[in-house]
Amino acid sequence: MTLVIAGLLAILSITGLGVVLTRDPRRQTLAMAANGLVLSALFLALQAPDVAFSEIVIGSAALPLFFFVALSSLRADREHK
Amino acid sequence: MSRHIRSVAFVVMALILVPFIVAGLSGLPAFGNYPGPYGDIINAIGTPVRHITNMVTGVNYDFRGLDTLGEEFILFASVTGIVMLLRGARGEAKSADALRIEHRRREGRSEAVMGAGRLLAPITLLYGIYVVLHAQITPGGGFQGGVIVFGAVLLAYLGEGYSVWRHVAHSTVLDLTEALGAGIYVIGGLIPMFFGARYLQNILPLGETKTITSGGLIPIINFGVGLAVAAGFLSIALELLEETRATGGDGS
Repeated sequence: MTLVIAGLLAILSITGLGVVLTRDPRRQTLAMAANGLVLSALFLALQAPDVAFSEIVIGSAALPLFFFVALSSLRADREHK
Repeated sequence: MSRHIRSVAFVVMALILVPFIVAGLSGLPAFGNYPGPYGDIINAIGTPVRHITNMVTGVNYDFRGLDTLGEEFILFASVTGIVMLLRGARGEAKSADALRIEHRRREGRSEAVMGAGRLLAPITLLYGIYVVLHAQITPGGGFQGGVIVFGAVLLAYLGEGYSVWRHVAHSTVLDLTEALGAGIYVIGGLIPMFFGARYLQNILPLGETKTITSGGLIPIINFGVGLAVAAGFLSIALELLEETRATGGDGS
């Protein structure tokens, strides 16, 4: 189990770095979703399944949707002016 | 401030901060260290006094039920704020067509996305309802199950497209469901007071451990939270998605 947690922490550091280093907002949103997915796997490995449930839906479905909608809304507004 | 000065300032500040960070990290307790007695007490008394096997739900909806009532109304207030702000500024008349965005290819959803959405939406919905109903037995609860139901309805959006989806996720239905969910929690807490008990005190029959009716008041207020969370998140998604729609045919 320690090995699984160590592996997940290593992957999390990579996906977290990915979120910071991605410059394009749309790609960054997807990077954030990937980070949320790894984070929920880590919560599961740390025996917190209740938190993992919330994180997997909020982190990799709800939050990316809200970001995509906001980005799309911003691009659409620019067209009017 | 030029780039050079900024770099120098960063190095100086980093050199000052590093010893503090190292000292702080070296003083951390070991991984998995748990000093407090509270969790152990809950684990020991949860099953005998409340007939539940998921202690997280026990803490959320019974031992610290009043805190969850507060959280419930934080969500309620946020959703109400978003709906008032967006629906008020936008008005009601909107078509289901997406706004046109320059330089964006307008391709329909691929068959793979539609197929995956149609296949996964009902399974996910069923699983979300399962998670809500088994809150006091297995991991999960009203909040977790509610957001899974929300995810299932989003998958239906991917499967069926927006014009069908906004008929399913209708704002009146969502508003009523959310109010009903919050109402179940508040009134479920008030009922014990009519029998001389305290607010949210668990005086209902506790039932048989490991069945979905066990836990007395817990499954009832948990179900209210499930309704309110699913409808609340869907309201936010609906209001935000409506922002990306073209205005109705009257040319406004």
